[in-house]
Amino acid sequence: MNTTDYLLEHAQDQCIALIDGDRTYTYGQLHTLIHSMVYVLHVHGVGLQDRVGIFGANSWFWVVAYLATLKLGAVAVPFSPAVRPPQLRVMQQRVKCRVVCGLEAHLTPPVRAVFADLAVITPTQLESACLEAPAPPANVACPPDMLAALMLTSGTTAQARAVCVTHGNIQANTDSIIESLDIAADDRMMVVLPFHYCFGTSLLHTHLRMGASLVLASNTILIEVVLNEIEAYQCTSLAGVPSIYQMLLRNSTFPRRSMPSLRTFQQAGGKLQSVLIAELAALRPQARIFVMYGQTEATARLACLPAELLHTKPGSIGRGLPGVELRVINADGVDVQPGEVGQIVARGGNITLGYLDEPEATALSFVDGALYTGDMATVDADGFIYIVDRQKDFIKSLGHRVSSYEIEACVMTVPQVVAAAAVGVPDPLLGEAIRLFVTLQPGTQLATETILDQCRRNLPRYMVPREVRVLDQMPMNQQGKILKTALREME
Amino acid sequence: MEIKERIREFIVENCLFGDTSVDLTDDTALLDTGIIDSTGVIELVLFISENFGLEVPAEDMLPENFNSIARLHAYLEQRVSVS
Repeated sequence: MNTTDYLLEHAQDQCIALIDGDRTYTYGQLHTLIHSMVYVLHVHGVGLQDRVGIFGANSWFWVVAYLATLKLGAVAVPFSPAVRPPQLRVMQQRVKCRVVCGLEAHLTPPVRAVFADLAVITPTQLESACLEAPAPPANVACPPDMLAALMLTSGTTAQARAVCVTHGNIQANTDSIIESLDIAADDRMMVVLPFHYCFGTSLLHTHLRMGASLVLASNTILIEVVLNEIEAYQCTSLAGVPSIYQMLLRNSTFPRRSMPSLRTFQQAGGKLQSVLIAELAALRPQARIFVMYGQTEATARLACLPAELLHTKPGSIGRGLPGVELRVINADGVDVQPGEVGQIVARGGNITLGYLDEPEATALSFVDGALYTGDMATVDADGFIYIVDRQKDFIKSLGHRVSSYEIEACVMTVPQVVAAAAVGVPDPLLGEAIRLFVTLQPGTQLATETILDQCRRNLPRYMVPREVRVLDQMPMNQQGKILKTALREME
Repeated sequence: MEIKERIREFIVENCLFGDTSVDLTDDTALLDTGIIDSTGVIELVLFISENFGLEVPAEDMLPENFNSIARLHAYLEQRVSVS
């Protein structure tokens, strides 16, 4: 089935699909816009499996361009607006888009220069197409294994990497997420995450499929704006990566607001410290909080901890979503015993085809239809999965193997700390000395000694940082993950 | 130096990395255009604290106070006169 038809199958024309600033779009209006956009793409020579670049931050036009691309059987290629032109050029060389769509405001002259030899489609072309009222396009059938999107991953290298996502992948993952989160037509998601990031795209897929609505945050830089809009539009749900929750809980008015409409929280994109999850749960005892785990290579999501088990299985990412088989296997390929560490391996309809034009890299991670995630984990006796630190996140201090996560979790119990990251730096005596980086709430004066005292009281001596540095801002990638490599390189 | 000029100088140096070719008027939108990004906001709050001795509470971090040099100026004037 064509993914756009699948996503809009249950929609009621008069219901609200999208709110973008002062514009509100019903499903009926969305249908009309997609129809016109299909025509515009067609006029620009876009055919089956041609690649369509979609550039920019979230907007109604992003959604229309994406759904029209899938409707035509073409391939959507979302580009992050945060990418600088030189990297954008590397990405375009990899994905070879035929046209690029975006809002005029997002397509600055340096961005246009990258796509200089391509047709650029903006809302202006769409508006004139609406007037021409073209004949409805023929339905394009899309078999499950047909390519739907190329998702550029956040790698920090100069190389661009694109994951090949099929129509079948999107539909399988959407069904799994809806079932495990119980998303319904009366849900309204506040979208802070960018749609070019698979976690963000999955919010779009799941809520459209259920005929629910999405509010696009008008400003993702200032969290207060997001909170005001949640109240103004009565949003029921919020989804975020750890940095968003850190800001929400430690550096915003969220704890002082009641926000009764907000009843569901989704968290993925890295481990959120347990102390922050506990704070969220204490502030919102009636809300359902879902901790999830996923990868772009698996379309978006692989596992979920049911909200009712948040307190019984703290720190767990849960189990595989419905339709996803998740195993943790050791070096011999055998399922680990409780407590033993192994690699998470996934199977299911959401496992993508691999990386575009990178057969060697694909063969390393995708073996006989299974995805080797590279994430190390343990399981408990009930089969719940716990991610352990990646190999490089261990610090070798005084002969002990120290988990940076445990140090960070301890430091996060100091309320003035917004984010914490521990790294090992070479030390002639210790092997590695622990260097801790923190960011603090603006305006707080907190002596680094206070943080060290907290560590000394709660951690064994070999886990106490040698040095604490306060930063204005953590180096992060576009998805809000702290870049530890950048921290290790700091003098 | 006038408050507006100090803000302008800060933005040119820290957010535009010295690029003076950008037409930065008092009313240029700073957030919508990406001139100030999430790092820029935090740097700006620190700049205000260090240069004007004012802590910006979370509830004041809104576009009406931050989205242009004119708005930042008006916000600072109002805060200074209150304190």
